[in-house]
Amino acid sequence: MSPNRTRLLFVALVVAQLFLLAGQARDPRGASSLLEGAFLRALSPLGRLVAAGGETVGGAREALRGRAALEAENRSLRAVVRELRRERLRLAGLALEAEELARGAGIEAASGLELRAARVVYLDRRSDLRTLVLEVGARGARRDQPVVAETGLVGRVIETAGRYAKVQLVTDRAAAVAVQLEAARRQGVLHGAGPGRLEVDYVPRQVEVAVGDRVVTAGVDGVYPRGLAVGVVASVEPGNEMFHRVEVEPAVDLANLSLVYLLEAAVPPAALTRGAGDAPP
Amino acid sequence: MRLLRFALGLAAAALLHFAGARASSFFPLAADLFLVVTVLVARSGRPVEAMFGGLVCGWAADALSGLPFGLHGLADTMVGYGTARIAQQLVVQRRTSLLSIFAAAAAAQSALLAVLIAVFVPGGGLPSLVWLPVKVASTALAGLAWAALAATVARRFAARRRRRPSGTLTLGR
Repeated sequence: MSPNRTRLLFVALVVAQLFLLAGQARDPRGASSLLEGAFLRALSPLGRLVAAGGETVGGAREALRGRAALEAENRSLRAVVRELRRERLRLAGLALEAEELARGAGIEAASGLELRAARVVYLDRRSDLRTLVLEVGARGARRDQPVVAETGLVGRVIETAGRYAKVQLVTDRAAAVAVQLEAARRQGVLHGAGPGRLEVDYVPRQVEVAVGDRVVTAGVDGVYPRGLAVGVVASVEPGNEMFHRVEVEPAVDLANLSLVYLLEAAVPPAALTRGAGDAPP
Repeated sequence: MRLLRFALGLAAAALLHFAGARASSFFPLAADLFLVVTVLVARSGRPVEAMFGGLVCGWAADALSGLPFGLHGLADTMVGYGTARIAQQLVVQRRTSLLSIFAAAAAAQSALLAVLIAVFVPGGGLPSLVWLPVKVASTALAGLAWAALAATVARRFAARRRRRPSGTLTLGR
């Protein structure tokens, strides 16, 4: 095409467009509207494509971000789980200990005795001279100090060594405890009679003793305070012409001890304290 | 072939325009990819192709803009024709020259649009002067990148055509 024709074509095209623009001002729904609609129809699918692609990319990016976040969260949660497992193990031990302490506190509140917890570190099961080794803490222990568990009497301290103390169990054949048959209100002397067995001596035959009667400390031997549960009567047989042969089942499962209590001081009975105040000079 | 290339270029410009607008609402103010296609067509030095190319590209931009339909069409027609006439006089090979052509085209289009808006859109605000240099620069850079990409694709296409065996078949030995 010659340059002049090209120039003419250009001028014509410009003039036509100017008319188009001017006509659009008068009639917005004219030819320009049709053209605009045609271009919009042609271009809109591309826009939809971009929008769909953008959503896909955005979704993938969100998914990747979410996956990374989930992995990080998973790692941190695994660490938390590990920590919680460790904590659970620790708390389980503490809970057991707290339960035992609570039972001890119950005893303390009920009996008015001052208790100090001690952990059993060793139990001699091999001989009839049953002994425990306790970890008693920095305060130590003293000889003949009574040792109890949450259900009753365990024994007394026979040896101390700094933070540790050795305890003679009531089931020891050499042990002797002044006890009282609670129902019969008769006293006797309790001693070990072999593994896990106890016997009470010096209970007269004229005293009625029944199986299941509670046996408690009498509080007259200078070692154990009065009223500590020792066990229950398991059997009663005629021993000789004067005394019963009373077998007692221990109140404490001595083979299964982990925490015991040292009796710090025997609290005098309230009646005795009141009586001392009322006593004449 | 040229028509197909133009159509593909226009579609690519539209796609990039949509993508840019999706990424930032300021994109249509900051760059005019339809003008890039117009200038690329006009670089060939064929004024008729350039003016009609500018017309179609401008109308595509009009369809997506809020301005009266035809403003970009008219402006791009003028820019295309002018660029083609310049391309007839000059052989543009250096990148800086190409960059200058795209920048000048963007500036000219903005000026034409401002005039057309002043005439045909009573009370319509003129294009922001703040975005003018941004639009000139980004359009020039986009045009340069597009031209480089198009040249690379054209070279590879030509090389592949040269490597292709001839259509003559030799039968027998």
